[in-house]
Amino acid sequence: MTMNPETGRISNSLIDDLAADLAPVRPVRLVHGIALVALAAIATVVLVELIDGLWRGILAGRASALFFIANGMLGLLGAASALAVLRMATPRVGNSHEGARWSFAMLGLLPATAVVTLGIGGSIAEILGDPYGFECFAAGTGFGLVTAAALVLWLRRGAPVSLAAAGTFTGVAAGAIGSFAYGLACPIDTLGHLGVWHVLPVALAALVGRLAVPPLVRW
Amino acid sequence: MIADEASLAHLMRASQGGDKAAYRVLLSEVQLWLERYFRRRVAPAQLDDLVQEVLMAVHTKRATWDPDRPFLPWLAAIARYRWVDHLRKVYRHAEDELGDWDAAEDSDEEAVMARMSLERLFVHLPDKQSEVIELVKIEGLTIAEASERTGQSESLVKVNIHRGLKKLSALIEKAE
Repeated sequence: MTMNPETGRISNSLIDDLAADLAPVRPVRLVHGIALVALAAIATVVLVELIDGLWRGILAGRASALFFIANGMLGLLGAASALAVLRMATPRVGNSHEGARWSFAMLGLLPATAVVTLGIGGSIAEILGDPYGFECFAAGTGFGLVTAAALVLWLRRGAPVSLAAAGTFTGVAAGAIGSFAYGLACPIDTLGHLGVWHVLPVALAALVGRLAVPPLVRW
Repeated sequence: MIADEASLAHLMRASQGGDKAAYRVLLSEVQLWLERYFRRRVAPAQLDDLVQEVLMAVHTKRATWDPDRPFLPWLAAIARYRWVDHLRKVYRHAEDELGDWDAAEDSDEEAVMARMSLERLFVHLPDKQSEVIELVKIEGLTIAEASERTGQSESLVKVNIHRGLKKLSALIEKAE
């Protein structure tokens, strides 16, 4: 670093070098990020159809109201969290991610309701003994990897300055979209099953995202 | 006189399109802005290195500014990010004492500046954390000296620096 003795300012050589290196760039646009995540979500649903097959009972009217509520909450949480992550890639003082935070808190209503209503009645064993529970948990988490990859790619292209939050919400978005997609293949629509085993992937992915994503997107 | 938001945004838009002359002007203005932004929050001897780091970050990440959004909040977020990073790494030498170093308050962007300032981050920290970060990371005291000055034990000084920096990094995009 050289200083100009008269002005005390940094030498202009750095500025000259950077200007000489300048090439046109295409600005990172939020709408392109939204398209990328939408494609990832669609690809996830297609993967679920190819691997497990979507539940035909949805269109036949056999799904309960809880099926739509739980999967709708997961889908909306995935969208809100993914949007927060996309915004973090183009940072600014004043960025707020409250929507994603409140959506995450709202999803907590499902397991809380399941534990309170079923747990108090002595049916907690029913939740833990659910023969399909772990399968849904593992599948929801696994299918989240598609969204996670898309968001990490986007963050690496961007300039995230809130690394811990970016990691956590990448995990939340991935877990929620993965669980939402797999939820379309799962015909079990009881509170104990949906409220616990379809929500756990979000919690696990949030934790993994918090730990694993920051080193991948640090700049 | 530092250029205003509209002029900087105009220059940045041209720079993203590859206009080297506009880019040179932009970087000169950004350099002035950063020198003012970091005053009192960085030891003078380290200011140039930090400004240089931010200028390079602006260069490599210039595509991440969205032309539909204001320029200064983007620049401030990058400046804060690099500043917190700098605090993590740097221990100042004793001779680099902070002086009275005020830049002229010559812009009508004061309100915007204040909202995005580094002081806004410190107010979110408990006093015991901001105090030891200032003493050790900015004024350059040793852990032992900071411990003596504040009455906190040495291990508590270290813990408070660690927790404070962690909190600062989580607050970078927060405006108030």
